[in-house]
Amino acid sequence: MGAGNPAPFTQTNMAENIINGVNVEEFKKAIEIVGSNPEAIHAPKASRVRWMNGLKFKAQVRNHTFIVDEPAHLTGEDESPNSVEYVLAAYGACLATGFVINATKRGITIRNLEVSLESTQNNVYNFLGLTDEGHPGFEEIRAKLFVQADGVEEELREIWEHTIRSSPVHNSLTRPVNIKPELQVF
Amino acid sequence: MASNGFPLFPVTVVGSWMRPKYLLDALRKREAGQLSYQEFNEVADRAVLEALKYQEDAGVDIVSDGEQRRDNFYSFVVEKLDGVKLMSLAEIMDLVEDKASYEAILRQADAPAFAIHNPTVVGKIKMRSPLALDEYKFLRQHTKKPIKVPLPGPYLLTRSMWVVGVSDKVYPSQEAMAADIVDVLREELIALRDAGVDFVQFDEPVLTDVVFNRGVKERTFMCASMSASSGDPTKELLLATRMMNSVVEGVEGVKTGMHICRGNWSRKDEVLLKGSYEPLVPTMMGMDIDQLVLEYATPRAGELAAFGHYPKKKEIGLGVSNPRSDSVESVDFMVEKVQDALQYFEPDQIYLNPDCGFGTFAERPMNSTEIAAQKLATISQAAQQLRKNYN
Repeated sequence: MGAGNPAPFTQTNMAENIINGVNVEEFKKAIEIVGSNPEAIHAPKASRVRWMNGLKFKAQVRNHTFIVDEPAHLTGEDESPNSVEYVLAAYGACLATGFVINATKRGITIRNLEVSLESTQNNVYNFLGLTDEGHPGFEEIRAKLFVQADGVEEELREIWEHTIRSSPVHNSLTRPVNIKPELQVF
Repeated sequence: MASNGFPLFPVTVVGSWMRPKYLLDALRKREAGQLSYQEFNEVADRAVLEALKYQEDAGVDIVSDGEQRRDNFYSFVVEKLDGVKLMSLAEIMDLVEDKASYEAILRQADAPAFAIHNPTVVGKIKMRSPLALDEYKFLRQHTKKPIKVPLPGPYLLTRSMWVVGVSDKVYPSQEAMAADIVDVLREELIALRDAGVDFVQFDEPVLTDVVFNRGVKERTFMCASMSASSGDPTKELLLATRMMNSVVEGVEGVKTGMHICRGNWSRKDEVLLKGSYEPLVPTMMGMDIDQLVLEYATPRAGELAAFGHYPKKKEIGLGVSNPRSDSVESVDFMVEKVQDALQYFEPDQIYLNPDCGFGTFAERPMNSTEIAAQKLATISQAAQQLRKNYN
């Protein structure tokens, strides 16, 4: 779960069992199982992305598939978000997930939660082949979490800070990753 | 004493007051279906009396109930009308194709989709119970002061309650729905007049959106989520005038007003509209209402000289205090504003009020009760000073 001091599950939570739609008992057991398996520490993942046509792709993760497309102004069919938008939304979803988990652990009931994200890229012209200057990666991401919950604001802020520290996507975006690209021609 | 029975420079409010925490808790329970409307109202009674006391202690001459029973200044109509359902923007975004325009609204509002609730027409509009008569009757029992009742304006309701993909399944056109809205508001105005209400104020903040976002056809946010307009400001302003005049035509014995501001949902001035009322003045003058309740406490409102070319036939509810700031304007500042207004209005045509309400949206108070009370008390002091000078 990353750095920080995850709060223990409270007795009250265990008695009520379900908070924020999360079965606390089952979640606790799942964490214990994962925690007892040293191989799970690196959480290996796999994905496959196949070209369909034009600028449209089908991505597969476990038994899920989703489309990646480009907007119409870049001659895509705009059927789905593009890759960068998926990363941005994935970041928001990761923060939301972490917040719900950490609030649930503390027995805090959430009534509403929403993450608003905005981003800019350093130089998207680089990706489009218009320039060699800069890079097309994210320059800045602004993420704002709106929440209505029963906890006091100070505690909710603690959860938010812990959520950011322990977010897999946040860490992926802010730390260097050992990426190994490779090409094989068939 | 002015000829209308009020003291000169009467002090009033635009309507809303901050909700205490216990009321917000009750409101959330009400929204979650854990409290009936009656149970919620019993909690709100206490909050109304507190809001009233703040106003009376501050020396306000024409009081309101602080809109304590309302989620916001217009969406409360869902409790009173058949055919209208309160939907969060999150729910609406799930139903409509044009999600991007709603996203733009949320960015403009700096708010989450779950926090903005839009009364949406989902069936034929019919009055189930009067819109604000219960609010008035309760307040009347607890004060001898004249009472102002704010109501959402007809154009605001027409723009806000029409959601393409939902409402067009019920009404053949937005205009057809507008006719029913006019009927409801007219019936309410007459009921309030008959009950003895002194002042009915129609809130039409969206009119500034029409002139400042000229030509914008997309759905916008202007204190309320607004359906797309024709994109033709002249046509929209004519529609607003026609609707307002149909509501008030021939209804005597109650003061009517219209409040227009540039937004009151955020303390970030940069996300609110700004600009002179000048392009709206012809529309204001064409409406058969008695008073224009306008904001003039900040530079973004432009100059009062916009009224220089028109006969002195309307009253002005002059905004002399910014409801969104921590600093309390001085008496001198307010007196100077009135002195400026006296170039364009007679003394007995000028009422003093803050620029807008202090709690337009229940969940988004614009100030603390302490500062809001200080602002009202300072307005009263300014009025007393002016009365000495002009009586």
